[in-house]
Amino acid sequence: MTLLPWKGATHEVGPRSSTFEDLSLPLLPALHNVAHWLTRNPSDAEDLVQETLLKALRGFSGFEPGSNFKAWIFRILRNSFLTSRSGLAARYTVSLEEELQEDSEGRARLYPESAIDRETPELNVIRLADRSAIHKAMEQLPPLLLEVVLLCDVEEMKYKEIAVVLSIPIGTVMSRIARARTHLRQSLNGITSTKELHT
Amino acid sequence: MSDHVPIGKLNALADGELSTDQLIWVTDHLRSCPECTSFALEQSLLKSATMRAGQRYTPSNEVVARMERMISSQNLSRSSDEGKRDSRRSVLDRSAQWNVWGGWIAAACLLFLVGGVGLVKINQYGTQTAAVERAALATEFGDQHIATLAAGQPPQVLSSDRHTVKPWFQGKLPFTFNLPENMPDDMKLNGANLTYLHNRPAAQLLYSIGRHSVSVFVQQQTSGEGQTVQVSQQSGFHLASFHTKDLSVTGISDVEPARLTDLMSRIEQAQTK
Repeated sequence: MTLLPWKGATHEVGPRSSTFEDLSLPLLPALHNVAHWLTRNPSDAEDLVQETLLKALRGFSGFEPGSNFKAWIFRILRNSFLTSRSGLAARYTVSLEEELQEDSEGRARLYPESAIDRETPELNVIRLADRSAIHKAMEQLPPLLLEVVLLCDVEEMKYKEIAVVLSIPIGTVMSRIARARTHLRQSLNGITSTKELHT
Repeated sequence: MSDHVPIGKLNALADGELSTDQLIWVTDHLRSCPECTSFALEQSLLKSATMRAGQRYTPSNEVVARMERMISSQNLSRSSDEGKRDSRRSVLDRSAQWNVWGGWIAAACLLFLVGGVGLVKINQYGTQTAAVERAALATEFGDQHIATLAAGQPPQVLSSDRHTVKPWFQGKLPFTFNLPENMPDDMKLNGANLTYLHNRPAAQLLYSIGRHSVSVFVQQQTSGEGQTVQVSQQSGFHLASFHTKDLSVTGISDVEPARLTDLMSRIEQAQTK
């Protein structure tokens, strides 16, 4: 029943309000960073964080003390994003191909081994040092893959936590991470090749 | 190809998600496979590079201050009633030093007066909060209904059979509900989604009445009494709600209110079976 902390929740908001402040304020930079990546716009990001905090404060009585507050508030952020203007736009511009790569159980199929470019690490180390190239590669990620990269690599969440935030099975988390990294590697490859052509 | 460690395992290695047994197996393999070692190293480098580059946006001090103020003001408005009660107590303490009888009478009058005002204020605050909550929820119903229409994607459970749709929610929702049978020809169940309203899980049942789409949101009722179907309006859509002892059910659609009420009444009757 740990998956249903809101079950049988009581409404005692007042005495717990200071705890909400203590728990949420340290996460403000992380929430803002992820919100900005998702919305790609500073004012939308600010609106999204504000909406998340208001919703979280309102629903704080349903939060089970001692459970994972970070996963809980990031799930609110993600759900708020999905129903926001920019979230809806992002959701409907995901290519059909991306959607079709998930099977009937919602699990994404892994890229075949042949799709992995096992290049020399030296080349890729050079690419990985180029922060702007990585920014660009991340910007090119479809929303479903970007969010999993942000939670896994940037926020360093465990697969179990990511599964809670995104409301998907752990297997889907793993396959999305694999797809996201393959996507990043391919984008970095393309970005670097373009740069080399221009120099 | 099958000799190599699967990509998922190499990612899990970079993410520190391998179990001890898997870690031993992967480490053993890496000792003898330069290709996998090189790939694992690269995945780790990619992860750390993404982590550094991903920390891209920092909120300005102004934004942080604004958010802090917003949380504080929300907290203040919630705790203001407690503050009022504290100040009333200190007034009473001072009055205790007055003339014994006169003081007690004055204190009693004051307590009665301030208590009355306090009760009225608390009532008003409660009413306002409930109205804001209701409006926010109605907006969320509208947003989710529009999002479903705009998505044009099949529902998570695509079936017109109530014996398929209802069991699909088993284990996904902390409550259960019944679906009506013997519906009119132009009124049909198209499927359902698992959704979240005010961060609580809810069932979004998708019906059609003629060519009109209807979303029916079923949530757990946390408090309050049962209430029969009532109709209201939100952004051009009609909303019809009813509450049972355990469930709160709201339907939203642009279909004429009488048809929406008919559907909701059928769902309400199904809950009594």
